[in-house]
Amino acid sequence: MKSVRVVVVGAGVIGFSTAVCIAEALPFCSVTLLAEKLSPDTTSDGAAGILFAAQFPDIPLDRQRRWFKDSFDHLLAIAQSSHSPDAGVMLSSGCQIFKEVPATKKPFWSEFVIGFRLMTDRELKRFPDHKYGQAFTTIKCECSTYLPWLEKRFRKTGGQVEQRKVNSLQELSNGYDIIVNCSGLGSITLVGDTEVYPVRGQVLKVEAPWLQHFIRDGDGTTYIYPGIHSVTIGGTKQEGDWRLQVDDGDTKSILERCSRLEPSIGKAKVASEWVGLRPSRRNLRLEREMMQLQGRRVPVVHNYGHGAWGVTLSWGTALDALGLVRQCLHEMPLRAKL
Amino acid sequence: MRVAVIGAGVIGLSTAQSIYQQYHSIASPLTIEVYADRFTPLTTSDGAAGFWQPYLYDNGKIQETKWNKETFDYLLSCLSSPESVKMGVFLQSGYNLFTEPVPDPSFKDTVLGFRQLTERELQMFPGYNYGWFNTALMVEGKTYLPWLMDWLQKRGVKFYQRKIDSFKELAETGADLIINCTGVRSGELQPDLELKPGRGQIVKVDAPWLKHWILTHDRYTESYNSPYIIPGSRLVTVGGVFQVGNWSEQCNSTDHKKIWENACELEPSLKHARIVEDWAGLRPVRSKVRLERETIQCGPTAIEVIHNYGHGGFGLTIHRGCAQEAARLFGEIVEQKGKGPKARL
Repeated sequence: MKSVRVVVVGAGVIGFSTAVCIAEALPFCSVTLLAEKLSPDTTSDGAAGILFAAQFPDIPLDRQRRWFKDSFDHLLAIAQSSHSPDAGVMLSSGCQIFKEVPATKKPFWSEFVIGFRLMTDRELKRFPDHKYGQAFTTIKCECSTYLPWLEKRFRKTGGQVEQRKVNSLQELSNGYDIIVNCSGLGSITLVGDTEVYPVRGQVLKVEAPWLQHFIRDGDGTTYIYPGIHSVTIGGTKQEGDWRLQVDDGDTKSILERCSRLEPSIGKAKVASEWVGLRPSRRNLRLEREMMQLQGRRVPVVHNYGHGAWGVTLSWGTALDALGLVRQCLHEMPLRAKL
Repeated sequence: MRVAVIGAGVIGLSTAQSIYQQYHSIASPLTIEVYADRFTPLTTSDGAAGFWQPYLYDNGKIQETKWNKETFDYLLSCLSSPESVKMGVFLQSGYNLFTEPVPDPSFKDTVLGFRQLTERELQMFPGYNYGWFNTALMVEGKTYLPWLMDWLQKRGVKFYQRKIDSFKELAETGADLIINCTGVRSGELQPDLELKPGRGQIVKVDAPWLKHWILTHDRYTESYNSPYIIPGSRLVTVGGVFQVGNWSEQCNSTDHKKIWENACELEPSLKHARIVEDWAGLRPVRSKVRLERETIQCGPTAIEVIHNYGHGGFGLTIHRGCAQEAARLFGEIVEQKGKGPKARL
């Protein structure tokens, strides 16, 4: 009999990864996922989903390495299995190129991706504006397929999904014993976190089935990510910009910049355009807090603020959040666990 | 000069192209005609996956290694041209897998980023203990051949669908020179005991999540008798059959079963792939490529023939280097006949 009621707020890659981790590891918990937006309308859906990380300044490096490694290993196992196409997870090789030699030559994630090495001079010849590059194999995880696949896994454990906007955590205090907040940008209003801000990203999906490698400019703003059915090209990084409409100037700029990296993009048909708001924060917030809600003390586990690295850190932070939920369970009065 | 090319696979068409490029202004007027009973998409070149990779070791055939490299460098340079998509040329990386360490291949400095596989990569392929990763080129016959034909047609090259039964037949029509690019059936024009069919069979599937080619190698069998998976721009080619001496162009269900089972073991996600078609083709296998001149007596007249056949399973891989060499031989003949610029002094 499921005795502890857990609610996860948010149905993006963080919400679903966390919900699945909890539901599969803790069979005595009933887990409900609530979200205003479900796939294909989440921020995760439009993301190219290439596993690749930058560093948060104030989080111990060990913890970040573990998040990246756990996420990578989890998705690599799926990519190597017969589930790969059902889950929308595939291997992707390519390169990251720099116009100037970067300060960090061996970023922390370089040992977790596969075959990380410097590009040879011959390889760099294709990119006359760039003088340094790294080649490696990583994972691409397409959330418009991955989220429904995670949802199936979630429902198998008895998990419930409800499309509903949660306006405040007060609404949840009576119905649930533990709240897990994966609301991304929504945390601004849901928990009053003023440190969260959007970083607007626009991408185009083009038809270029001859492209097999990803190419990313080290500045993080220009990239080409071949996927299962189309190639995602981008992008923009507009801090504090809340506009969800497509900007024609951005479209033009993306096509120009990407064609310079890969001339054949000029021959590709543009299939669609999309805008997402990266739920950014100086540091990702992954911690638990005791909140006073409607006269009850309710433990809340926060897992939000992943910025541009939601897919990249999804499973690792979900596992971490699971650990925090276990701690909450440990400290709960016995009555609630019966 | 009237040149008759026999064969419209990648060898015939690219040889016509090289001759045109190098000599159309020098050996003017130059008429090039291509005769074949099969044109794209029905040639051997069309069925091939279009993956650039020579056999692992050239066993002293350094000319062939040179021609392979020339072809790679040529195709690489085409990548930046606006024609690359229409040519069917693009880069793709992947894995060569072995059960034990082997020496580096002849092409290690030709391809891009050649390296040994890491432990983690080997773990992805149970049963294999050694291997390489590199970036190579794809040149898809079904796209490249139509591009070549279009290129040639625009420059006045004429095509004739006709089976040529003898060199004499063409000599009698007034051709000055014949380029013999008849591949596996060259023996019908002139017996060649060294030329044999190397039958291959493939399955083409829809599996767009695969972005790397995977070639396995078994030291006990020839190249291509071991499973391989080669994604293309639209479909993935799955294969692993190399039967020397087998002339059957029909698909065989035993071969299909073996190919499919082996491939699914190598790449479990293929279980979900939709099978689109099967195909069998005959690689024109020979101890070495026959690329040389020969003067053939046809009754009272003699006709110059340039042979360019016997490219086995590496026709697309070597085509440009051979075409350029054939053009060079053509140039020799032009000079000898006095039909070059010297003749106009």
